[in-house]
Amino acid sequence: MASITVSTPARGSRFKMLAQRLEVRMLALALIIGLCLSLLSPYFLTQSNIFNMLDQSVVIGIVAVGMTFVILTGGIDLSVGSVAGLTGIILGLSLQQMPIVPAIAVAVLAGGGIGLVSGLLINVFGLAAFVVTLGMMAIGRSLAYILSGQTAISNIPDAMQNIVYTNILGIPSNVLFLIVLYIVAWAYLTYTKGGRTIYAVGSNKEAARAAGLNTLFYSVLPYVLSGALSAVAVTFSISQLLSADPLMGNSMELDAIAAVVIGGASLYGGRGSMIGTLIGVFIMVMIRNGLNLMGVSPFWQGSAIGTIIIVALLVERLVSSRASR
Amino acid sequence: MKHAPSADPPPILLTASKITKTFDKTRALAGADFELREGEIHGLLGANGAGKSTLSKVISGHYSADSGSIRYRGRDIQLRNTRDALRVGIAIVMQETSLVPDLSVLENIFLPELGRPGRLDYRALKERGRAILDSLGQGDSLPFDWEVRRLSSAQKQLVEIAKALGVDAKLIIFDEPTASLSPGEVDRLFDVMARLRETGHGLVFVSHRLEEVFSITDRVTVMREGRTVMNAHPTADLTQAELIRAMVGAELGAIYTEPHTPGEGEGGPVMLEVRHLVTEPVVKDVSFSVRAGEILGLGGLVGAGRSETVEAIFGLRPRSGGEVRLGGKPLKGDDPQGAIRAGLGFVAEDRRTQNIVPDLSVKENLLLAHLGAHRGFFCGYQARERKVKELLQRLGLPEDRLMDASMLNFSGGMQQKIIMARWLLLEPKVLILDEPTKGVDIGTRASIYAMLRDIVAAGVAVVVVSSDFEELLGISDRIVVMSDGRSIADLPSAMLDEEKLTLLAAPRTSMARNTALLNQLAHEHGGAGFWALIEKDNLICLNTVVTDAALDPGFKAGEARGLADTLIPRALSQREPAFVPEADKSRTTLLVPMHSPRGHDLGWVGLCLSPDTALPSPEAIKARIDTMAAAL
Repeated sequence: MASITVSTPARGSRFKMLAQRLEVRMLALALIIGLCLSLLSPYFLTQSNIFNMLDQSVVIGIVAVGMTFVILTGGIDLSVGSVAGLTGIILGLSLQQMPIVPAIAVAVLAGGGIGLVSGLLINVFGLAAFVVTLGMMAIGRSLAYILSGQTAISNIPDAMQNIVYTNILGIPSNVLFLIVLYIVAWAYLTYTKGGRTIYAVGSNKEAARAAGLNTLFYSVLPYVLSGALSAVAVTFSISQLLSADPLMGNSMELDAIAAVVIGGASLYGGRGSMIGTLIGVFIMVMIRNGLNLMGVSPFWQGSAIGTIIIVALLVERLVSSRASR
Repeated sequence: MKHAPSADPPPILLTASKITKTFDKTRALAGADFELREGEIHGLLGANGAGKSTLSKVISGHYSADSGSIRYRGRDIQLRNTRDALRVGIAIVMQETSLVPDLSVLENIFLPELGRPGRLDYRALKERGRAILDSLGQGDSLPFDWEVRRLSSAQKQLVEIAKALGVDAKLIIFDEPTASLSPGEVDRLFDVMARLRETGHGLVFVSHRLEEVFSITDRVTVMREGRTVMNAHPTADLTQAELIRAMVGAELGAIYTEPHTPGEGEGGPVMLEVRHLVTEPVVKDVSFSVRAGEILGLGGLVGAGRSETVEAIFGLRPRSGGEVRLGGKPLKGDDPQGAIRAGLGFVAEDRRTQNIVPDLSVKENLLLAHLGAHRGFFCGYQARERKVKELLQRLGLPEDRLMDASMLNFSGGMQQKIIMARWLLLEPKVLILDEPTKGVDIGTRASIYAMLRDIVAAGVAVVVVSSDFEELLGISDRIVVMSDGRSIADLPSAMLDEEKLTLLAAPRTSMARNTALLNQLAHEHGGAGFWALIEKDNLICLNTVVTDAALDPGFKAGEARGLADTLIPRALSQREPAFVPEADKSRTTLLVPMHSPRGHDLGWVGLCLSPDTALPSPEAIKARIDTMAAAL
């Protein structure tokens, strides 16, 4: 009685095994892009530009963590940019009333609360994630304008700068925060019940429910995280600029989604990883940085980034379909 | 009803040769051959997963074959889709009908015409529809302007057939057409099929019910594991045993491990008790209980509400009434996690949509229910390490395959075994399996049955839901039959056979006619009426109506009794065409055999009266029962 009908997968060389992992292929892509850019611009690989790029990765990187969680469950969060804008204003206003730590807490709670509302609308009332977060996107931006009185809040206490400009072990605190956040998120997704449930929910929600997993809680949690992390991200922006603008985080959702997708996540859920997302973030930041260095007009940058993303995913699709054969 | 063999065989309508078809990595067809003549009904047989449905769908254009050729009316044809197939005159009547529930009967019959440009002439369509139904001898059985959702499954099937004739189909495939029909409806379907044969149509009858195959087909083709193992053999020359041997392969006589020893499970405590369970809209009133060390079969036709019942027990579906007790404690029905922690396991019906998480490794799939039951922040996988190894050995799965990225690389049988192992890992008190052998090859079936026996021997109470009556009879100690959302019988499987199960499982529409008649008889004459199956010294009661409690025959619907244990033993054992008084003079009983129009045994209808009253004429009552039987 042949119980196993399929031949064991090729596990010949270590190289082949590595190449089967999407993250490895994407890392190779990131290196290739880095190499090309360093050939095109001598400034690209200098230490100061590398730190500059790491700095630029922080905000988008933080938002991409929440986005990864959401996309892993098969959802999408279009509201991250607007939530960042709104919570930025909330932070700016709170800082007028209270010390820094409680003010940040208020902003993060507000972001989490918005995510909770989206998550419940999507998972309890069964509305489409795309539509709910699209609505939240419009509401968030509109409230940001109303609360701010259409102008930037610029009297932010200078002490906020400590959040960004403290060096710990020679690493800027915001970059360190990003590194710790990715390690924690990776460990959570890999080793905890909640993390595995998030994968299971995205891969097959019905089966997850039938196995007794708490699908409702772990479908809502990613939206809460995503909202809260948007607020965290904007906190770093504000502490750098010492100003809260209602326009902050504009079109950030697109960069975050692009980073997650470049990192190998499936928009149908169940597939993706923090390592992949981090590589995706770096690819996005490198391209943008490189285009700036080469003096490409900002109006052309959108076209360039869009093209690179689509071509990268197209090549990946062709490669992976050949690899799985 | 066999077709008289004529000297000149009718021309060949279709020949399929060496058809192969692979899905992902599963080989569904591995060189299947098939031949169909005009004016014949050709049985296509095989066990679950033998490839008969795939072959039908290749012939009807749903799938395109990987290799092989199809010759139709003397020409090689290449079908790219069902529209191609319909254009040349090949149609399929499927289990899940392809009708549009919100359109009217007429619109559904002429659905292909709705796609044509120009105005529809409803009056002309109505006439054509009428003509088609007349040609099938079903003149008035379909209300043309009803929406299809209001029809019974038998009527929907008739719409499908009419739809096929609406495009002048010459070849019609019936894929398990009797799966949700009552015996009377089956008879009517067979009449329709016989008429189609007379008019030169070639019909393919896909089924695994041998009895039906013998009563309607002219030739049979048997498939096993994707191959044709018996090609176009005249049915009349075959015995049932030969067909079974062809279907399961010679060495598999003992697929259902050792026959169960009756009374084995009787000592065990009741582990799961279901009382008057209601789940809108399908489950209306279900009660049963299972003891430790017992396999309970839950049988019934497709649509009887079996899956809905077990899903409601497990908490996947909201309950609207009734009570479930697990190991004596009430089990709330709102959440599977609670049920799992209380000791319930559930292998859902659809592997792909309800069980497998494709993006998790085999190991995590195996541990998924553990994860669901686990309390704690981390996964706690290492606590199960030893048990996992033990189970893998039992499944015959090498340990290094545990980390395989996808369950989907395994055969359906192995997938099913891994899903079962998912639950065994938790050592449940009660394990419910919904269609555990669906789409599983016959070899794995045998090992799944063996696994079930092992589980039961370890003291677990097992509930198996299956549409395959043969399987149900083969593995269960006791069978609860469901019909239209109600549990209507609870009998030891040793007392049952496929035929009795079919009758018990009949939809309540036919039961309603029977109840109406029993009601009339019992009321007119002031006694008790019943409908029962009698075999040797045993009786299985299908229905009773008692108007005078003093004349109760001593058994109720769904009960089985030895004839001597009833209150009317003499009448039951003599079975004479007249009223038979009992020895104690308390009752006198008339028993009338009931047959379907095609001569099928439908059991006996009885009328118990007081011997002191004026007895009606047995002939008059027999005539009424015959009329009822014809409509059943």
